[in-house]
Amino acid sequence: MSSNREQVFPTRMTLGLMKSKLKGANQGHSLLKRKSEALTKRFRDITKRIHDAKTTMGRVMQTAAFSLAEVQYATGNDNIAYQVQENVSDKARFQVKARQENVSGVILPHLEPFIDESINDFKLTGLGKGGMQVTKCIKIYTKAVETLVELASLQTAFIILDEVIKVTNRRVNAIEHVIIPRTENTIAYINSELDELDREEFYRLKKVQEKKQQKTKELDEEMRRSHLDHEKEKEALEEEIKEDKEKAKEGKSVEASAGDKKGAVKNDGKPLISEQEDDVIF
Amino acid sequence: MSSSSTGQAEKRNIIAVIGDEDTTTGLLLAGVGQIAPNQTAEQDDSVAQDRSNTDTKHKNEDIGDNMGKNFFVYREGKTTKQELEEIFQLFTQKRKDISLLLINQFVADKIRHSVDSYTNAFPAILEIPSKDHPYNPEKDSVLKRVKKLFGE
Amino acid sequence: MEGLYFNIDNGYLEGVIRGYRNGLLTSHQYLNLTQCDTLDDLKLQLSSTDYGNFLSNVSSEQLTTSSIQENTSARLYNEFNYIRDNSSGITKKFMDYMTYAYMIDNVALMITGTIHNRDKAEMLNRCHPLGWFDTLPTLSVATDLESLYQMVLVDTPLSPYFRDCFGDSYQELDDMNIEIIKNKLYKQYLQDFYHFVSTELENPTKENMQEILNFEADRRTINIVLNSLEHPEVLDLDLKKQLIPEMGKLYPIGQQQLLVANDLDFESIKNIIESTVYEYRGIFETNGSSSAADSDIGNNASSSSNLEDHFYQLELDLCKDCFTQQFTLSTIWAWMKSKEQEVRNITWISECIAQNQREKINNYISVY
Repeated sequence: MSSNREQVFPTRMTLGLMKSKLKGANQGHSLLKRKSEALTKRFRDITKRIHDAKTTMGRVMQTAAFSLAEVQYATGNDNIAYQVQENVSDKARFQVKARQENVSGVILPHLEPFIDESINDFKLTGLGKGGMQVTKCIKIYTKAVETLVELASLQTAFIILDEVIKVTNRRVNAIEHVIIPRTENTIAYINSELDELDREEFYRLKKVQEKKQQKTKELDEEMRRSHLDHEKEKEALEEEIKEDKEKAKEGKSVEASAGDKKGAVKNDGKPLISEQEDDVIF
Repeated sequence: MSSSSTGQAEKRNIIAVIGDEDTTTGLLLAGVGQIAPNQTAEQDDSVAQDRSNTDTKHKNEDIGDNMGKNFFVYREGKTTKQELEEIFQLFTQKRKDISLLLINQFVADKIRHSVDSYTNAFPAILEIPSKDHPYNPEKDSVLKRVKKLFGE
Repeated sequence: MEGLYFNIDNGYLEGVIRGYRNGLLTSHQYLNLTQCDTLDDLKLQLSSTDYGNFLSNVSSEQLTTSSIQENTSARLYNEFNYIRDNSSGITKKFMDYMTYAYMIDNVALMITGTIHNRDKAEMLNRCHPLGWFDTLPTLSVATDLESLYQMVLVDTPLSPYFRDCFGDSYQELDDMNIEIIKNKLYKQYLQDFYHFVSTELENPTKENMQEILNFEADRRTINIVLNSLEHPEVLDLDLKKQLIPEMGKLYPIGQQQLLVANDLDFESIKNIIESTVYEYRGIFETNGSSSAADSDIGNNASSSSNLEDHFYQLELDLCKDCFTQQFTLSTIWAWMKSKEQEVRNITWISECIAQNQREKINNYISVY
């Protein structure tokens, strides 16, 4: 599992990154797939044409070879081959030019025959005998070589396309079977990690709340208790004062104790309020 | 890859031939022949290299002579396999001005391994029939790949 | 009267030649050959003819058109050499003259090879065996025409022919010049041969050979004129004049007309030739497809006979006529040419069989 995802920190930012990456990968996958399909279509087309061309080539070359036989027949000796070889000059009459063709982003060279008509190494070949056959033979072979160049150009396209299609397919497969699952795994991992974190956080918060409530409770308890003590003390104090006053002066002391009582109550909120409320209600 | 190979293609404009006498003659008549006078520096390297090769071997003037020529005449019974290999390497690796190598199929058969293992786009190799040896599509290295691709 | 003395020297030779002539393939045998499906069949068919089992040491894998051609030619050379060895005096000289044409070819070949530094042994292999002479291998030392002449050719029978090649600007040897030199030599050779025939030989040999040589000269003339049609810049009028033999039926009227301008087209050449010499009427008839119209090459190009075929046909007719007369050396020439044509025919037929071009197989020329 760990090997099948990227080594990242499971953060929300990486999650965002991964999600955009996944999106990109999906888009790239579909694009590459389409490219590969386009190339394959072209490729099949080319292979078919190669197959046809190769079979016709046999015939074309045979006709050409035959015209050479005619030359040999007409000139009456077989030294024509030698003469031809020796007459070759320093510049080829028949050359090829490469043109470029673009098939869904792949540049295919297209070979084109290029004939420099001003060059003819065999002007005088067969002057005394068979010159016409030589001229004819030149023409037939020129045609044949044109066919060959055409075929070669197909074949080159075939080789290049073959290579490119392989690369593209490899990429498509890589995206489909490695990058996308991996990114998905990473996203899943990040999600699970984040969920885990969320749960932990929630739990922690709950715990904190609980603790807080407990504390408040305790505090309340304590407060109440302390209040009660206070009341008791007060009562006890009042009792004492009463007793003292009763002891000292009987008539006057009742008025004084009531006034004292009111002042003491003012210090403590709740009972006071409740007393006041009582007042309001009643 | 494609971009680099087409970059090369700009300079490649001649056709090379390895074949028997009749085939070569015919193709030369069409005007593919060229005896290059303008040999570049790298070309000279290969000249020297080939010379040294030929020196060490028996009298091998065909290849020494072949420098500058873009054709090679195969002679049944005379041309050795090694010579063929060398000329094949020369045309496919060392010379930078060849865009297309035409080779007789029966000659290609002699060095089938080299031909089959050659995969570059440039120079393209085309196996052609010869007069005495009709074309056999079963043996063609490219057609073999075509067949393989279609799983036949 | 001439018959009386002819047999003293040449009776045996003529007998042999006539024997050879009977060995030439007949049209019936050609018909059998064209029915063959493979070269092996052809070999079998040939073994029932005069060729016997000449191909017996060639295994069927190695049986190619070139090996057939090689063997048939070798047979021809053997027979020729046998006759030459048995000849003497004027006959010998006559036969030597016949070989000079091959010598010219060989010299041209050697010079071409020398210019390109080719392997000498390889070149010698390619030389025509009948044109062999002792100093041939040393030809390769020459670099220009002058030294070529001084060192090698002065001792050969060809030396007189070279005289005409000097004095102009073509001193450096290159491919173009070799072809021109070759044709100049041919011209000299034909004229010399003609002279030899007219002065040294008796009738009817003289008559026959003059006829044949005139035809040969005309053939060269017509070929040169036609073949230089497309490259007027290479061959100007002057040069053409130097290449065309000053003899033949076209000479002088026809040639004058042909050489009057350098921009004659095919039609006008045809008209000139046809109007001058009756025999050549019709040789241009069917060759329109091969020279003038190049539109649909390959399809019908050789389905009809062309100019070269017509020439071969005419030549063979002449040769056949030669055999009708007795006591003449021209039978040797006639036999030789017929045999050469036969070799070409066999090569052609085997070529057609090997390449499966059956529709053209009947383009061979047979008169016997």
